[in-house]
Formats: sequence, C-alpha cells, structure tokens
Amino acid sequence: MNRAVPFIAVGVIVGAGLCVNDSAGQLRREVNPPVRDTGLDAHETHAAATLLGQFRTSISSWLWLRTDLYLHNGVQMRPLSDAEVRAGVKGLGSHDNEDKKLHDDAKITTVVPASDRDFRGWMGDVERATQAFKDMRNHGHRDPKSALPLFRLMTWIDPQFIPGWTVGAHVLVSGNSPEGLERAVGLLQQGISHNPESVELYGELGHIQAVRWHRFGLALTSLERARQLSLRRPVPEDEDGHDAVRDTYRWLALVHRELGQLGGMYDAAREGAQRMPDDVILRRLANPPPSPLPIARQQAWLKALAETAPPPEH
Amino acid sequence: MNPRAWVTLAKGVVLESVRRKDLWVVAILGFLIMASAGALGFFGMSGLEAFAKDLAGTVLGGFGTIVAIIISTRLMPDEIRQRTLYPLIARPISRFDLLMGKYLGAVAVTTIAFLILTALVGVSLAMFKVGYEPVMLQYVLVRLMGLSIVCAVGIALSLVMTPNAASTMGFVLAFGSGLIVRALVMAYETSPGPMQPVFRVVNALVPQYGLFDLSGRAANQGWGPAPAWVVGTLILYAVGYSGAMLALGWAKFRRQAV
Repeated sequence: MNRAVPFIAVGVIVGAGLCVNDSAGQLRREVNPPVRDTGLDAHETHAAATLLGQFRTSISSWLWLRTDLYLHNGVQMRPLSDAEVRAGVKGLGSHDNEDKKLHDDAKITTVVPASDRDFRGWMGDVERATQAFKDMRNHGHRDPKSALPLFRLMTWIDPQFIPGWTVGAHVLVSGNSPEGLERAVGLLQQGISHNPESVELYGELGHIQAVRWHRFGLALTSLERARQLSLRRPVPEDEDGHDAVRDTYRWLALVHRELGQLGGMYDAAREGAQRMPDDVILRRLANPPPSPLPIARQQAWLKALAETAPPPEH
Repeated sequence: MNPRAWVTLAKGVVLESVRRKDLWVVAILGFLIMASAGALGFFGMSGLEAFAKDLAGTVLGGFGTIVAIIISTRLMPDEIRQRTLYPLIARPISRFDLLMGKYLGAVAVTTIAFLILTALVGVSLAMFKVGYEPVMLQYVLVRLMGLSIVCAVGIALSLVMTPNAASTMGFVLAFGSGLIVRALVMAYETSPGPMQPVFRVVNALVPQYGLFDLSGRAANQGWGPAPAWVVGTLILYAVGYSGAMLALGWAKFRRQAV
C-alpha cells in the first residue's frame, strides 16, 4: 500500500492539473476582468482563481519595473520621497525623455546615491563600483525597442496588463517607420481583443491613427468607442485611468476639428469639460472664440459646416 | 589553533551533508531552474538576453543564500542535540577549532552547491546562446565571498538563539539588509542631526551583502569587471566581518555548558 502512495499522489496532481486546464478559459474571465479592480473582490469565491490572478499580475508588474531598469542599462532608479521633495532635492532629468510614459525623470534619482549625497564613505564607493552605477544627471536611455521583447512577455503572461499594450505600441511607433506603425496598430488591436472594454486601448489606438497615421475617420471611430466605454462609469480617480479618459476627449475634439466637424468638436469638448472641469484644454476647446454673429446664426453656421464635412474614412 | 583539525572537521561537514542528502535540495532547485528556463525557451528568448542574465543572477543569488543559511544555522545545534559534540570536544582540539572547522565546512558545502547551481544556470544560458563576459566570472567569485559572510552570520546566530530563530533571522538579514541600508541612505539627509550618528552605527553593524552582488553589471551591456581595489576591499570586509561574527559565536560557545 505504501508503495502505491506516490503514484496515487502523482495521479491526483495530474488530474487536478487537467481539470484546471479544462476550465482555464472560464477562469480567465474571472481572474482578469475587462476592467481591473483597484482592490480585492470580496465576493471572489474561487481561491485558485484569486491566486493565479495575483501571480500573473505580480509577474507583469515586476517585468514592468525591469523594463525601466533595462532602459537605464541596469542603473536602478527610484522616485524621490516626499521628504526629499520637501527638502528641495532635485530629480535627475533626462535629455531624450524616451521613457516619459514610464515615469517623470524630473522626479527620480538613482537608488545608489552619488558620492556627494552618500554618508557611507568607502562602503558607498565600493557599492558604486560593484553595482551598475553612473552619474545619471541629464541622462539618456537605451533604444526603447530593446525592451520590446519584455512588453511582449508581460502581455503574454498577463493580457489584461493594459500598460504593456499601450507603452509597447508607443515604443513601436517611436521610430516613425511604416512597419512600426502597422505593428503598433496590430498590437493594440490584439490588446483590444483581450480587453474589449478598455478605454486606454481604444484611446491609444485612436491617438496613433490620428497623429501618426493621419487616418482621421478610423481615429474618430476608435475614439468614439473609447468615449462610449468611458461613459459606463465615472471618471477613474487613478492617474492612468483619468488620463486615458481626458486624452480620449481631447483627441476626439481635435479629430472632429480636423474633419471640419466643429459641432462634434464642441460636443465632445463640452462633455469632456463637464466630466473633468479642471482640464484647461478641454475648457478652451469647448468654448468657441468670440464671434460677431448672433448665437442662433453661429449654431446654424456650425450645423451647415457639420453637414458638409467629408464622411469618416473606413 | 589547529588548522589540520579545521580541514578534517570541514571534510566531515561535507561528508555529513552528502550523507544527509542535503545536495538533493540543490538538485531540486537546479531542476526548478532548468524547468523555468525551458518555459522561457518555449516562449522564445530573442531580445531577452539581458533579462535572462538578470534572472540567472537573481536565481543564483537567492538559491545560494537559501542553501548557505539552511546549512550554517543547523550545524552547531545538530551537534549539541544529537550529542555528537561530546566525542568531538573530548579530542585534543579547542572549541575555537571546532567552530572554525564547522564554519569552513559550511562554506565548502555552500560553495559546492553554488557551483552546481552556477553550472546548471550556465547550461541554461548556453542553450539560449547568451554570451559570457569576464564580469560573470567575477560575479561568481564575489558572490562566494558574500556567501562566506552569510555562513559566519548563520553560525553565530545559531549559537545565541534556537535553530528556527537563527534561520529566520538569517533570512531576514540576508534578504532585508539591502532594504535597511537603502532606507538609511534615503533618510539620512532629511533626518535630524542627532539621529545621523545612529544611522552610521546601524549601517556599520548591518552585513552589507549588497556589496557582493555584481549581477547588475553582469546582466547589462557595457559594464566591465569591478576594479582590483574593489575586490581587495571586499576580501578584507568579508574576512573582517566573518571574523567578527565567528568571534561573537566563539565568545558564547566557549562558555556554553554542553
């Protein structure tokens, strides 16, 4: 009997593995909801689902941090603490701003301090010699394309990790090559297939289609979809979510203007300004310049302009 | 002092480790490394060379530290609990010789385990055609120096507290000392003047394992080996800190009733 125990144990493990494999598709929806919750779901009853979800999220977040590390060629950076900011410590800044989507270089410094800010004497000198360290004031970055495999890896591990898709696409279009543009659009469309309700992905797609591709009709469709998705819930309070909704409205208004649809521009800008009253750009777009025409004639003129605008490209 | 006794005792520790199948732990860790590498290889490693080297350095450092703590914190308590200490101290060797022999044995077993893991990681990297640079060899040598400090701290802790507490404290120091040092450096500038000498003392007391980690240079492009003066300083620090830990352990052990 004792000899059979290991075989029984292996059988149970393999059986459990097969069951998990069968229900993976069902688990995925529960583990990775289309809109990522900011906190734990108190009603989640599947322990395995919760565990797997956290594991995937942890790996993708870790890869995200490694990406920043590789862009700095191994030099570890950290944000300035509140106490340091209050004490007047300045960030390092960069001259190419290649990783502005990852962080603000004006608010970061090296993890290993420079010698003039290190009390440790010879220990600090040895650490600066054994770690990947150099003076990073006004620093540059490695070609962001070198980090593309990591974006591929993090979206493969966790397809619901939205920044992996959006920043990966941003990196692809940074070279301004037509191939990069096609690949970026393809990447975002792949991301949308995994996250069909993501405002960020539709917004980024519309942004690229408008700014890089100059296909304003397609951009209008994508941005309008992002706007509709954003209306399903209040404007998120987190920075990324808030910026995505804000940029959606800004680009939507500008694309309408580019197409000559001033009515659409004002509608989008006014709706955006209503939802985000602090945004100066949306407020400015929402208010038409002073006109000698009476309001009624202005509206008639805008309506006529909107009707004569070319149809969106498809 | 009896250096011949040290060597004999160290050999005994290695043989005991083999008899107890401790190296099976290394084999299991190695299997995990190869399985993880296989999973990454399935995905494709093109463009991920820096990531692979970074991961290899992290895995080697983590697993090497685990082996060092588990082995070093167990040696002396086991001798006392199994009463095998009596025939040892009945021989013409001092308690200091016993401690040194055990320490060298722990370092030897840790070195063997680390080199086995390094070989397995090396095979995994070679499968992905990741190039080797001289700094990688320096990484291994300097990391072994750091592990010798981990062993000395482990043995010292095991003589002043229970084995479980010693291994827990060993892990806290090994994986938390970098965090402590980082916090001290960050807070020093903005801390009130009277606190700054305290920060200096705490920094001097905490084992600086982070100094022995060259994985950042080994993983990324364009970083050469650390200069000779740095390696010399690290050797002095490793000898000095390990000596201090063993002296603390000996101070407790020589008066300990067994």
